Amino acid sequence: MKKTFAVLAVLALAALTGPSTAASPSLKPFERGSWREVLRAHAGRPTLIHFWGVTCGPCKIELPQLGKFMADHPEIDVVTISADLVPNLSTATQAMLDKAGLAGAENFIFNDGYAERLRFEVDPSWQGDIPRTMLVTRDGAIETIEGSAEISDLDKWSQAQVRPH
Amino acid sequence: MTTSRLRSSLLGLAIGLLSAPIAAQAQMVHQHGSDAACEGTELRCATKVTPFFAEDGKLWLAWMAGGRVSVAGSTDGGQSYSAAVPVTEQQLNLDWGPDARPKLVVDGKGALAVAFSIFRDQAFNGQVLYTRSDDGGKSFAPLRPITSSNESQRFEALALDQDGTVFVAWLDKRNRAPAKAAGRAYEGAGLFFASSQDQGATYAEAALAQDNTCECCRLGLAFAGPGRPVVVFRNIFEGSVRDHAVVTFSNLTTPGEVYRVSTDDWQIKACPHQGPSLAVSPSGAYHVAWFTNGKIRKGLFYAHSRDGGRTFSEPMAIGQADRNPTRPYVLATPDATTLVWKEFDGERTTVMMMQSRDDGETWSKPRALASTDNASDHPLLVARGKQIFLSWMTKADGYRLQAIGDES
Repeated sequence: MKKTFAVLAVLALAALTGPSTAASPSLKPFERGSWREVLRAHAGRPTLIHFWGVTCGPCKIELPQLGKFMADHPEIDVVTISADLVPNLSTATQAMLDKAGLAGAENFIFNDGYAERLRFEVDPSWQGDIPRTMLVTRDGAIETIEGSAEISDLDKWSQAQVRPH
Repeated sequence: MTTSRLRSSLLGLAIGLLSAPIAAQAQMVHQHGSDAACEGTELRCATKVTPFFAEDGKLWLAWMAGGRVSVAGSTDGGQSYSAAVPVTEQQLNLDWGPDARPKLVVDGKGALAVAFSIFRDQAFNGQVLYTRSDDGGKSFAPLRPITSSNESQRFEALALDQDGTVFVAWLDKRNRAPAKAAGRAYEGAGLFFASSQDQGATYAEAALAQDNTCECCRLGLAFAGPGRPVVVFRNIFEGSVRDHAVVTFSNLTTPGEVYRVSTDDWQIKACPHQGPSLAVSPSGAYHVAWFTNGKIRKGLFYAHSRDGGRTFSEPMAIGQADRNPTRPYVLATPDATTLVWKEFDGERTTVMMMQSRDDGETWSKPRALASTDNASDHPLLVARGKQIFLSWMTKADGYRLQAIGDES
């Protein structure tokens, strides 16, 4: 038994050290402080931040629509955050993002077993329901859409963002 | 902006080409974010633990850990446990949804009935599996699907009738494909049920109690009397309003009328991942606790019905609104109704508790029972006679079964 673990540990080490230098993974870990960092990194630019998860039925329908939205709106930064709390789901998450045309977005996946704390950092009143979309204006004002967003609403919002102030 | 998007796309393409090693690496990254304390199958590695007190006072636990569902018993009130027995030798892709957990009931003759959900494919379609032990938990029968349908099923609930009948309810997507084929929109999932007259060895054919209910929340299940199960569920009302409803069966095969528990007006096309809790007290009163983020009310609420679910009391808010009250559980024992729930202050999760001595009319002040600084399961309540226990699995502190004192 111990031997098996040792072999697994070596394999794990190889997995960590091997390909990581070739290219940085598309999926970034979303951890403590990541939320502040996302807001900081996109400060001054209109940004759509979408929370979703691989087992969420409505998310599966909405994700390709967001992929199209991103293609149609290069002026809007698009960030996705997989907010399911799941072991070993990065592959499925990446596959769904790729299929939805969102591989080029900035994509995160929850990477802290203490999901309550991650959610609290985003919005203390958020209880984990997904999908959830947060629209951040240039001046940092945030509008939250609970559940699936209407793409027409997103279009309207993005048009408002490009108007001269 | 455009340049960086282009660069990202090229990077995405490169990653696609390198998908195999990247996938392995990504999975390693994610394991640091596990909500389990360890990766084994033992109790301390569990993310979900479900307790059940058998008639003889023996405590049974079923838990999810290391891709297995395991069972153990305790004859000393949780001080020590028998050797854990996995219900299956194979590793399973268990449903890890926030409201999923293994279910366990033990009848008066000592037969254990177990049910749980797995993800059976890459699209996360679920399947409810069951097994049972007729040798006191030493071994389990091969796993069997609860229904022959191959459409997605999740969120099973098990309850034991007085005569030993095992009743099971679950959420089932089988009506989606026919509706779509007929050009009709289909929302949510069907609330299906079945029962077993042979101690959980086989279940009758599945039947529908209510179609188009919310597909991603646990069910509340209890018996209003012999042969009369009651299910509380998050329903989908007109306009995608996901408020709670209750159905009482007139017998094990006949669901009655569906009544609304509360009009919260939570219109949302999403998975709330927050199911209700139900208990029926010896007086016949239904006690329901639930979460909502509706237009009419937001937060955690409690209400009771004294007319078999037709009408409910005005919802009573539970917990401190600025502490994220969530995951309620209600238990009715012969002389008390007890509510527990979680609160979170940004760092620490605390299990709060309050009790009613008058069948839900008035309640004690909430009091903290336990807390933890890392991931935790939903708090559950379980009773042996009049003694009530908090059952709570935490990543940092393991499993606890904590006796609750008189709060009146």
